[in-house]
Amino acid sequence: MIRESDDVIVRTVARLLMPFITLYALYVVMHGHYSPGGGFQGGVILAAGFILLVVTQGIDRVKRRMSQEKAIIFSSLGLLIYAGIGALCLILGGDYLDYGTLGRPLSVQRAEARSLGILGVEIGVALGVMAVMCAIFFAIFTPDQKNGRREQ
Amino acid sequence: MVIRELIAGFFVCTGFFFFFTATVGLLRLPDFYSRLHATGKGDTLAVLFSLIGLAVYEGFSLTSVKIVLIAVFMFLAQPTATHAISRAAFRCNVKPLTTPGGPNR
Amino acid sequence: MNTFFLIMGIGMCLLVMLCLFRVIYGPTILNRAAGISAVGTKTLIILLIIGVVHRRVEMFVDISMVYALLNFIGCLVLAKYLERTGEV
Repeated sequence: MIRESDDVIVRTVARLLMPFITLYALYVVMHGHYSPGGGFQGGVILAAGFILLVVTQGIDRVKRRMSQEKAIIFSSLGLLIYAGIGALCLILGGDYLDYGTLGRPLSVQRAEARSLGILGVEIGVALGVMAVMCAIFFAIFTPDQKNGRREQ
Repeated sequence: MVIRELIAGFFVCTGFFFFFTATVGLLRLPDFYSRLHATGKGDTLAVLFSLIGLAVYEGFSLTSVKIVLIAVFMFLAQPTATHAISRAAFRCNVKPLTTPGGPNR
Repeated sequence: MNTFFLIMGIGMCLLVMLCLFRVIYGPTILNRAAGISAVGTKTLIILLIIGVVHRRVEMFVDISMVYALLNFIGCLVLAKYLERTGEV
C-alpha cells in the first residue's frame, strides 16, 4: 500500500509534470515512423506517468482512474486493435498486416493507407503496453489479501 | 556563424566546469548532505548551461526548442529529486557531520 | 567545432567514471542514490553531444528527454522506498 506523499513540493511538481509527460508519450507514439520511438516506447512513457502519480498521490487515488480490472480491459483492447487491423487486411484480400489493402475502404492512396495502418497498430500496441505495465505495478504494490500481511 | 559557435563553446565549457566541480564535491566532501548539496546544485546549473549551449549551436529549429524544453524539465525535476532524496535521508535519521573527523556516512 | 564537442564528450565520460566511484564504494544506499542521479544527469548531456557529433541531434534529443524523465521518476521511487523502510 503506497500512501500519498506528505511532501507538498513533490506532490505539486508531479501534478504539474503529469500532463506534459502524457503529451510527450502521445508525441512519441505519433512520430514512431519518423523518429526513435513508437508504440512500445510511448506505452512505457504513459505507464511511467502513472507510476509517478502512484508514488506521489497514493495508490488509492490512482486506482479510481485506472483500476486493475480496467488495466486488463485496456490491454485486451490494445491487442484487439492490433489483431483487428491485421485481420481486416486479411479480409480485404491482402496478407496479414498488409496495410496497402486498407486504401479502398478508407478511399486514400496505397502509400497513405500504409502510414495510417502503421499508426493504428502503434496506438494498439501503446494501449496494450501501458495497461500491462500498470497491471504489473498494481499487482506488485497491492498488499496480499490471503496472507493478511499488513505493510506499515 | 563564428560568433554563434563561440557562444555555444563558452556555454558548454561553463557547463563542463560546473560538472567538474559537482563531481569533485561528490567525491571529496565528508558527509552525505554536503555531497548531495554539491551534486544537486552543481548538476542543475551545469545541465542548464550545457543545454543552452547546445541549443545555440543548433540554431533556431524544432530541435533547439526541444532542447530548451529539456532544460525547463530538468530545472523543475532535478531540485525535486534532490529534495526527495535528502528528505528520505532525514527520515532515516542520517545525522549531518558537525564535528571534524566524525564517522563517514 | 566537432573536435571540441568530442573532447567535451570524452571529458564527461571520465567524470561519469569518477562518479561511479561513489556509486560503488558509497558507505550507504543514499550515497549511491546521489551518485546514480549525478551519472544520469551527465548521461543526458553525453547523449546530446553524441547527436551533435554525428549530426543526428533531432534523433538523439528524444532519447535524451526520455532519459531525463526516467531518471527523475527513478529518483522519486528510490526516495519513497528508502523513506518507507526507514533503514539505510
